[in-house]
Amino acid sequence: MAQVEETLKRIEASKGVIGTILVNAEGIPIRTTLDNSTTVQYAELLCQLSMLARTTVRDIDPQNDLTFLRIRSKKHEIMVALENNYLLIVIQNPCE
Amino acid sequence: MLTRRIQGQKGVQGIIIVNSEGIPVKTTLDNSSTVQYAGLIHQLVMKARSTVRDIDPQNDLTFLRVRSKKNEIMIAPDKDYFLIVIQNPSD
Repeated sequence: MAQVEETLKRIEASKGVIGTILVNAEGIPIRTTLDNSTTVQYAELLCQLSMLARTTVRDIDPQNDLTFLRIRSKKHEIMVALENNYLLIVIQNPCE
Repeated sequence: MLTRRIQGQKGVQGIIIVNSEGIPVKTTLDNSSTVQYAGLIHQLVMKARSTVRDIDPQNDLTFLRVRSKKNEIMIAPDKDYFLIVIQNPSD
């Protein structure tokens, strides 16, 4: 757990990182650096999007699986890392 | 042409250009793969775009990267088209 903490702190300290959210296998945010309502909104929307991205990958090749998703928008970038049904969401401002 | 330059990049497995209706207008892959990719990715891009807009209606999707164990799919959406590039990052 200490290693997880350290990794998350390192990510959070990176230049340009606006927020990080860790979501468990049930879709519940278990750790966040953002306010509650923002966290809930991101967790829900990104869980849905990640599930669709995963389905897309598996439909093309059932032996394949989604590992990472990067959603770049005009204002910032959302990165989602998937492992064991957990999601690590990092929102960063790439311009900083 | 743009596709030739991308196609020439190491690791690029395929390029598909899809119009706003989700219909492939250019491809370097076979027909059935193209149709499958175009359909599935069109849905995914629409969902990614609405995710971005739900969070902030003033914001918009500019790029999407779907990394999987075997390859990476990159999607650049434009007003009327989107460009899909499938690459093997290990090559």
